[in-house]
Amino acid sequence: MDGITGAEIIRAAALLGAGMSMGFGAIGPGIGEGFAAGKACEAIGRNPEEAGLLTRTMLVGQAVSESTGIYALVVALLLIFVVKG
Amino acid sequence: MKDITYIATYSFDLFGTSLTVNTFTLINTWIVMAVIIVLAIIGTRSLKGFPNPAQRLAEIYVSAMDKLTKETLDTTTRTYMPLVSTLFIFLLLSNWLGMIPGLAEPTKDLNTPLSLGIMGFFLTHTAAIKEKGIVQYLKEYCQPFFIMAPLNVVGELAKVISISFRLFGNILGGAIIISVVSHMIYSLVLPPFLYVFFGLFVGTIQAFVFTMLTITYISVATK
Repeated sequence: MDGITGAEIIRAAALLGAGMSMGFGAIGPGIGEGFAAGKACEAIGRNPEEAGLLTRTMLVGQAVSESTGIYALVVALLLIFVVKG
Repeated sequence: MKDITYIATYSFDLFGTSLTVNTFTLINTWIVMAVIIVLAIIGTRSLKGFPNPAQRLAEIYVSAMDKLTKETLDTTTRTYMPLVSTLFIFLLLSNWLGMIPGLAEPTKDLNTPLSLGIMGFFLTHTAAIKEKGIVQYLKEYCQPFFIMAPLNVVGELAKVISISFRLFGNILGGAIIISVVSHMIYSLVLPPFLYVFFGLFVGTIQAFVFTMLTITYISVATK
């Protein structure tokens, strides 16, 4: 029975890194998007006739703040599927 | 399960250079294009003062896009309206195509979002140069002072990366989650709801966001 080879360590590190990338990367967008949605709710409550414009602006802002989370996802996918030990 | 990241390719030689074509993505894109052409023909087949249902839908879509473009760009001309409405319906149908068994979203392949993003990049900068003149355009890179010019150039290039990776990551992530969950529960009950969420909901929002950001970039660059 052989010991652990270098390729296996690389594979393990890549999978661990993918999990950590996604886990830490999801914190920021989660907080940011929730904050934006909460503020949009407050604004709609104060000013219901502007609901369409507010929702549109909120969605675009949320999508922009989501991009760091998406980068984390892309990095995680690269680590899982592209890094071969 | 194991074909999540598999992309069908076909290579051939053309005048000494090797070209690779992603066949499945190409076929799916052609399907989307065919559907758009058929929809356009049905919508404009018999234009009347009292419209039939298909023409009514087409009119609702076109006028909504017209209003959106005019409000965001703050103009009264219709220069960018055809581009914006075509971009939105192409991305919408592309993101919805994955719900049909056997087909996949063309946007799941990075080549499609990246080419659309590069198209938006060239469009934005052409519009800016046309609107402000080359001197004023180059001067804006030196804001707030001259040393910042490389950072501003990198910032412009990062816009292309961020807009295309956002669409790609959302669609591919949704497809992977659907595939993994369906595999785990032996495709019982849950997959249709996942398709509704990731296909209909996320797909629509991401198509809208991509279109909206392209208009916003043009609006920021021309102001």
